[in-house]
Amino acid sequence: MKYFIMNLGCQMNQTDSERIQSVFGQMGLERTEDEAKANVLGIVACSVRQKAIDRVYSKVHEWNERKDSENLITFVSGCILPADEEKFADRFDVVFSIADLTKMPERFKQYGVVSPLSQFSGEVHVPPAASLRDKLGLSSLEPFWKVAPAYSSRFEAFVPIQNGCDKFCTFCAVPYTRGREVSRPSGDILTEVQELVSRGYKSITLLGQNVNSYGLDKKGEEMSFNQLLDEVGKLGQESQKAFWTYFTSPHPKDMNREVLETIARHDVLAKQIHLPLQSGDDHVLIRMNRNHSMDRYRSLVSEVRSILPQATLFTDIIVGFTGETEAQFENSRRAMEEFRYQMAFIAQYSPRPGAASARWDDDVPPSVKKERLENLTEILRVTSLEYNQALVGKTIQVLVEKNDRKGGFLSGKTEGKITVRFPSEDASLIGTFVRLQVTGAVPFSLEGILV
Amino acid sequence: MGASSAEVRVLANQPLGPGCFLLTFERQAFAFKTGQYLSLGLPGHREQREYSIYSGEGEEHLSVLVKEVPQGMMSRRLAALVEGDTLHVDGPFGYFTLDASESSKVPLLFLATGTGISPFHSFVKTHPNLNYRMLHGIRSCAEIPLEQGFVRDRVTSCVSRETGGDFHGRVTQQLKSLKVLPESHAFLCGNCDMIYDAFDLLRGFGVSSERIYTEVYF
Repeated sequence: MKYFIMNLGCQMNQTDSERIQSVFGQMGLERTEDEAKANVLGIVACSVRQKAIDRVYSKVHEWNERKDSENLITFVSGCILPADEEKFADRFDVVFSIADLTKMPERFKQYGVVSPLSQFSGEVHVPPAASLRDKLGLSSLEPFWKVAPAYSSRFEAFVPIQNGCDKFCTFCAVPYTRGREVSRPSGDILTEVQELVSRGYKSITLLGQNVNSYGLDKKGEEMSFNQLLDEVGKLGQESQKAFWTYFTSPHPKDMNREVLETIARHDVLAKQIHLPLQSGDDHVLIRMNRNHSMDRYRSLVSEVRSILPQATLFTDIIVGFTGETEAQFENSRRAMEEFRYQMAFIAQYSPRPGAASARWDDDVPPSVKKERLENLTEILRVTSLEYNQALVGKTIQVLVEKNDRKGGFLSGKTEGKITVRFPSEDASLIGTFVRLQVTGAVPFSLEGILV
Repeated sequence: MGASSAEVRVLANQPLGPGCFLLTFERQAFAFKTGQYLSLGLPGHREQREYSIYSGEGEEHLSVLVKEVPQGMMSRRLAALVEGDTLHVDGPFGYFTLDASESSKVPLLFLATGTGISPFHSFVKTHPNLNYRMLHGIRSCAEIPLEQGFVRDRVTSCVSRETGGDFHGRVTQQLKSLKVLPESHAFLCGNCDMIYDAFDLLRGFGVSSERIYTEVYF
């Protein structure tokens, strides 16, 4: 019996999906990328944009039509808003909170399909029935986190350390889909990282919706994010293995000098900082409920530059947020010029169902949003190129990731997550570190040769 | 301070000003810093909304001040609650908090509109000796009862839609006439437009953005 999973959204959903795959594996199911061959069809949903939710409705409609002639089970999990959850219950056979993952085999067995599913009586831990607050992620995530994931890469892994968000940014629905901030026990995290390092993983990303809020929910009974990073750093030193540890996504509110100093101290903590700006205007930051000012952000960037001068700086920016005036956008434009990011994920604002801002007028016309996005992208092209050109002629270390789209080339990432390609057809290099001399630079990527 | 979650019993639901009510419920083990908020919902419903805590840190029960919104999803459900009903509470959340050691040394300016007075009520209940001045923006004199619990001569009721109160006009109009010291710490809570305008005025008075704390009500 085969299963198919459609994974929508962010890296958190990817790591959720890896754990779902692990449970299916234990249940004797085989994964397929061809949904036509699958009898168990599921979606790890994302509520960040309506478009992603529309895809869920469209796909389940298609699958339900197949049910006329096939024996199928459908499921949905991931980030689901309360209103959608009720509608999904009518359309999918199984709707489950990711916190209830270990209960999934029992849910599937209720369908009575003669398959490995109905005969499964394995040892996936089944927690007690979850209450409403458990579904909101307060205590029942520990069994989920204990499920060993089926990593989708042999050299790059995502390790969830925290789930949920207590920040309530007005453009975001995560507090309503993922629930409150819950930190995974540090012992489990360090065990998973240790295991990955011993298996030779080269890139490990600590994941959380608000990753640097790690530990705050435990009221002093868990280590802080800074301490956790330090422990990963020490683990790296003791292992004497080379790997890069990243974290995403952080909130400027909880970023501090100590974290940056810890990153500076350990080779295995990658010199790449993602610091979401969202807007360069104080009024818009207030309306977004970001809880920091531009002055605060500016001082953080200044600390990044002084403590980690070699680090690349990435950001997230929303253009055309509800009510954003031309003058407010101009402040975002100036901020882009001031902070000279190596990469920015620039998004046109779209109301996210369930978020506070979805109740306000989406009053910036699409054409203006597009123009603002292009404007910021142009600045990014300049600052990215400026950084990349400074690397030409230098020798850098690169983690090789895949065959490049250009035939005869492989591509990978620098420690600062800049894409590099180089001529080679040696696929055995994928998943290893190589040294390259940088021979060329364009915005957003580099070209080099093996040295 | 990490968030907790509990189902608690409603103890009272009292009207307080036009369209507003004070909902009081069991505190159980909730610890909070004055100025923080809670996320409230009803058992069996996953929808929740956030409300600032009205009570002081040392009080036995928790209260929130709610304005009933005619089209609102949660406020209407909360308005219908009576003593003995059950309420789902998550929290506390937020950073609109008062550092007591710092606040005893510096002048404090509180700017509120409507039920945005709620966290300030928690401030003064927790620290009765604060050196504060509060401007409270309301539409009509009927909302003056929201100002109960404050030292009367520290409060200016700014009534925008009728004469009466201490000042006829908006909070920001009154703010312009004040002498605000750059070392002041300013706390702004309530309507977004008031917060925008007040933020700029305060920067104009020389108050750094690090000393301006905002909590927008949506």
